[in-house]
This record gives sequence, C-alpha cells and structure tokens, in this order.
Amino acid sequence: MQQTLEDFYKVIRAAGINVSPSDTIETSRTVALVGYTDRNILKNAFQVSLAKSETEQALVAECFEQFFSFDTFSAANDPHSDNKADGSDEADEQQPLKSEQNESPQAESQLAKMLMEGDTASLATEMKKAAREVGLTDIWFFTQKSLYAQKIMQKMGLRDLQNDIAAMGKGDCPSSIAQAGELRNAKEYLAESVKDFVEQQLSMYGRNAIRNLREDHLKSSKLSNIEQRDFHVMHDLVRKMAKRLSTQYSKKKKQDKRGQLDFRKTLRRNVAYDGVMFETYWKTKYIDKPRLLVMCDISGSMQAYARFLLLFLHSLNDVMQRIDSYVFTGNLIPVKDIFEKYPVEQAIDKIMSDHGMGGSDYGTTLLDLDDQCMADIDNKTTVLILGDARNNNLAPRTEVMQNLHLRAKRVIWLNPEPATFWNSGDSVMHKYKPYCHMAKTCNTLDHLERMLDDLLKAATSGT
Amino acid sequence: MKELYKDKFTSVEDIQQRFEAAQYICSEQIATCVYIAHNLQKPVMVEGPAGVGKTELAKTTAQILDVPLVRLQCYEGLDESKALYEWKYAKQLLYTQLLKDKLSELLEGATGLEQSMERIHSHDDLFFSETFLEPRPLYKALHQELGCVLLIDEVDKSDPEFEAFLLEVLSEFQVTIPELGTIKAKIKPLVFLTSNNSRELSDALKRRCLHLYVPYPDEKLESRILSSRVPELSDTLRKEVVSFVQQVRELDLKKVPSISETIDWAKTLLLLHSEQLDAAMVKKTLNVLLKFETDIDAMGDHLRTFINKAHKRSGR
Repeated sequence: MQQTLEDFYKVIRAAGINVSPSDTIETSRTVALVGYTDRNILKNAFQVSLAKSETEQALVAECFEQFFSFDTFSAANDPHSDNKADGSDEADEQQPLKSEQNESPQAESQLAKMLMEGDTASLATEMKKAAREVGLTDIWFFTQKSLYAQKIMQKMGLRDLQNDIAAMGKGDCPSSIAQAGELRNAKEYLAESVKDFVEQQLSMYGRNAIRNLREDHLKSSKLSNIEQRDFHVMHDLVRKMAKRLSTQYSKKKKQDKRGQLDFRKTLRRNVAYDGVMFETYWKTKYIDKPRLLVMCDISGSMQAYARFLLLFLHSLNDVMQRIDSYVFTGNLIPVKDIFEKYPVEQAIDKIMSDHGMGGSDYGTTLLDLDDQCMADIDNKTTVLILGDARNNNLAPRTEVMQNLHLRAKRVIWLNPEPATFWNSGDSVMHKYKPYCHMAKTCNTLDHLERMLDDLLKAATSGT
Repeated sequence: MKELYKDKFTSVEDIQQRFEAAQYICSEQIATCVYIAHNLQKPVMVEGPAGVGKTELAKTTAQILDVPLVRLQCYEGLDESKALYEWKYAKQLLYTQLLKDKLSELLEGATGLEQSMERIHSHDDLFFSETFLEPRPLYKALHQELGCVLLIDEVDKSDPEFEAFLLEVLSEFQVTIPELGTIKAKIKPLVFLTSNNSRELSDALKRRCLHLYVPYPDEKLESRILSSRVPELSDTLRKEVVSFVQQVRELDLKKVPSISETIDWAKTLLLLHSEQLDAAMVKKTLNVLLKFETDIDAMGDHLRTFINKAHKRSGR
C-alpha cells in the first residue's frame, strides 16, 4: 500500500500542489489512523492533510477521484475494496471469450491463459505490475503514450502470446484455429485497455508538465505574438504574478521615533538601569503603502500590446488597494470603475471599444494628468507609463513630465519597442526619457515581472 | 509529557454524534479533521467566510472534551509580551525598592567585594521566577494540567513576526523564555487557528497544520443547524427561512449572510411571532440578515421572487 500512497503523492504533485517529505510522512500517519474502510473519510483525510488552501482542496478531491477510481477495476479481488464498484466495462469485453471456451486449450503462456479465462482481475493486476516496472509514473508528454503502452504489453508477455497465436493458427484443428482468432481479438482488447490505462495515467502524472511548458513559453514570448486563445492562461499567469508581487510588498512597517511612548517596553528594557529611561521605545508604527498611478496607451500603434497590458492592469487592480489606473489615446480616462464593475474580458473589451484606436497624443494626455491628478501625486507615488511614445508629431509637453519627475517618487516608462527604435520616426521617447527615473523595454511577461519587482522593491525600501 | 486526553474520540461518527448533542452540526469533513487533529496532535487551520462557525468549532470541542478553552485573539501589533508572558514590572520595581533596605542586612558580615557579590548572586534569580511572571494565553495553554483547546483566532491579522514565533509553539508545543529556559506543554493542547484570509499566511505555518475549509452550508445542513439552534421554529418557517437565505447567497453582495445571521434572523422572526415569510415582515427584518445599506437596496427587486420560491419550497 505504501507504493500506492507514493504514487498518489506523485499525482498530487503533478497537479501542482507542493507536497514536502514531511507532508507525506504526516499524511501516511493520518491514513494509518483513519484506515481504508470508508472512502469518504479517507478522501477527507487526504484533503485535510495535503491541501493548504481552498483551491488545493478541490484539486486533491479531483485527484483522489481520478486516482482511486482506477483501483476499482484493478482491485476487484482486494478485500478492502468491497464498497467499490466492480470493473464492469472490462468484464463485459471479456465475456464472449469465456462462454466460447472449449476443452482443448493449447495456449501455453500465462497471458494467453488469463485472456482465455477472462480473468480481468489478474489481468489488471498484471498490467499495473508491468506499468510499475517500466516506470509509467514518470510519463510526461503525450508523445510517450504509445512507447509506454508497448513497453507494458511487452512486460506482460506479449511475445509469448504471439507465439501461442502463431502456433495455434498453424495447426489443422479447426477449434484451435478458432481459438487463435479469439486470442487475436483478445489481444486487441488488451492493447486497447492498456492504451486507455496509459492515457489515464498521463492525464494524472503529466498534466503539470505540459502546463509548465506552455506557461514558460508564454512568459518569454512577445506580448504581441500571443494569441487570443491563450488569453485565459495568460490571465491566470498574470494574476498569480500580480498577487505574489502585492503580498510581498504591501505590508512593510517601520517603527517610528515619534508619537506615544511605549511605557512597558521602555520600562522593561531599562530595569537594568534601575528604571532610568536610557533607551526609549515608541508605539507609533507606520505602514508603508506604495501608491501607484498607471497610465496605459491604447492607441492604434499599441494595439497588439494593449490587451495584455490592460490584463495586467486589471490584475493589479484586483490585488492592490492603492492604485489608480488610466488609459489614454488623446485624453486621460480613469478605468478603475470599469475594472471593478466588470469581469476581466468584458472590461477589456469595453475599454478597447469605448476608448481604443485613434492616434495617441501624449501632450494633451500629460496636460490632462497635470489638471486631474497632479495634486494627488506626492513623494510616495510611483507613476508607471505604458506606451510607445509615438506622438504623431504633436507637441510633447515635456514641461509636465519635468514637473512629474519632481513631484513623484519615481516615474517609470515601459516601452514595448526595443530601445533602438525609440528615437525613430515620430517617437518622442528621447524627449521624455531624461524625466524618467527608469525607462526600459518591456514586451514579454518576464520583462513585466522583473520590472514590477524592481518597482515595488524601490517603492517600499524608501529610496 | 503526557500525550493523551482523558476523554478520547474513538471514531469519526462518534465525533459527529457528540457534536450534534452539543448543538453543533458538523459535516463529515469537519469531523474527520477533528478526529485526525485529536489523535495525531496536529494543529488545525480553519478557514472560511466570517460567521460559518469557525470559532464555535473550537468552543464546542473544548466543551465536549471537557477541557478549558484558552483563546488568543490576534491583531496587528500583537507580540510575545501579550501572547506568551510578561514580567510584572511594577512588582519587580517595588521589590527592588524594598530590598534596598534589606541589602545591608544581607551583606552583614561579608568581607571584601567578592564575598558580597557572591551573596547577592545567590538571590538575584528570584526576580525572574514565576512569582513575577504574568502568564498570557499561550503560556496558560501549555500549563494546563488536563490539556486544553487553544484557539488562536484570526491569525491572519497578526504580524509576520508573530507568525514566525508561533511556529515553535505549534510544532514542538514548547516555548523559550530567555530567563527561565524552555517550557514544555504538560499535555499537548488541541490547537485551532482561524483565518479570514485577509493576508496570505506563510507556507511554513500552513505546512504544520491540517487545513480545514468551512464553506457556507448547503440547504440540508443549514436546516439541521437551524433546527438544533432554534428548535422552537416551526417546520414550514424553517424551510422558508433556509430557502430564502440560500437564494440571497447567490446574489452578488458585499457581505453575504452567514449561518450566525440566519440563526439571528430566525430568532427575530420567532420573536415577532411570524408564521410564514411575507414581504412586509421580511423588509422590516432584513437588516438582521444584511449588514450594508447597498446590499439591502440590491435585494429590493428580488425580494418577492425569493419569497415565492421559499413558499414553494416549503410545500405551500
């Protein structure tokens, strides 16, 4: 049973839940305590001891159903599994063989005998044993399916079976020719079952590998190249990232040297000095909450990126409290309400259709910013501008940028174009760049993440 | 260290029955979790929305095991001196003042500095002994002779530093007081930690705990809870109340009503002698169920359909 448990942990890990060695030890103890008699209790026990959050609990439940449902047909003769359903589908397939058995069996091999007798329980056990020997739990990708299926069949004694079929087919006796035919059919069934089994195992053990591969790929590919169908995967990815960033940085506290005296602490520390207060402790603590103002260009030239930048903005909005989000083409438009009111896809569609397209005008936008938000921007605010600075040859209004640079804690410009393109054509990046604390290229999720990491670190470390 | 409680849970069903007798209707999952926690002496991290009975679970467990409940309410700024122990400074200071006079008596006959120091040394430990120690919840929990249920409420509200400090307590059931040394639990307490998920807890803490998520109950469970908590309520009204609340939970509200609010509402209706739900009565008492003005406004349109459905549900 230990092996089964270990396989189950493997499945759980493949589903993306971190299971440490000490977790497995504790869980094994738990299982030993509750026993295998009640399926529901066992499931609850796994859920309670392996999962660390609500979503993980659902995942564990799902894995449990998948993993132990296989046992229902393999362990038909297991005394512990009396409450489980018998392997009806497999049994049905083998039924005709059993009925037409005749009295001159020439099949020699173990496998052939089992097939002839329709002994599904031993067949399944045999299959599982073979699977373990070839290391099926290491299966990763769907391309390995047929390889593993073949390996399992070999281990179960496919060669002997084939020899038997050939030997029986050669003879003159009509009954053994008929039997050879049946065995051939049975072999097909077996191959089918093994393939099903491998597929099922792949879906358990391999699911995370494929997802990881895909996510890695998405992270490093250019935002403009990512297709619509990957949108929801991106959404999860971005959300995860935003959440991590915000929890990491949102709660920095500092002891202040002002305010109310912490009398107890002070007294306690100064007992050594006979109650004379040399060292003082203060009660005031202030929580450093970075404020973020993000403005995103959604004009025609930015179209390929805008959806994903908005997606990112939306996720940030979800996880951070003190954030103001704006989009612009020619004017500054607050979108915080839209993000709060609608689910992500709808919100982005709405913003794109209401405000998207058209040529960008950074000058007017900056004037709007000066008008609407400059009063709120203080030395705790970080201003993040997502745009390509292609101003369609309009006035750049650098004086506002200058002002912004003076007032804000940091001004950061993320440009999807590579730096070599920055000063070509109607780009006015070179005019804005001196007034930015940081101006960088950002066109993959990896870029975005690294950038935000820097940003939040700087925002909370008080530099 | 003794490990076992006088009173033991023998099986999951046993727990369910005994909880039910104590008016706490628990699902099989909760019972399994308590069973494992009790037998393997692991802390339980209980998560879930406010008002689904997280705190009540700890209270009931204490009641059933017949051991005291030690409660530690967490908040921002909670530190060791409030959770574990504190020295009685005033008393210590007072004693120093008193002892000043005794000092000459003590040193009588001592010749030389070395001898005097020695004499004082033989007395100084008195200041940092249990006489001057003010025990706080965690210290109390470890010192219970018959074991106890320790409830660490809303652990997500505490600071990360305190969370780190809890790790030693939860895995070893011991604490270290610099002046006194390491103190071990007499009997390992049964620990419940509750969290409302206002901040992500560290993996280290999560790893040490069993994880239990208590969701809003389904219709059947809520009906059972209600009949256990408000037994005077008539069958029809109970069905209607439960059905109504279940429907309200489907709405997009700021604060979804929880079990405790359902119970309060049922009690209110009982007090007002209502026999069945009607629109006027529901409107008047809706503030028991919903705690935000915007939520009550949002209910406006749905009120009648919900009531109608509730009537149908109760077979009217």
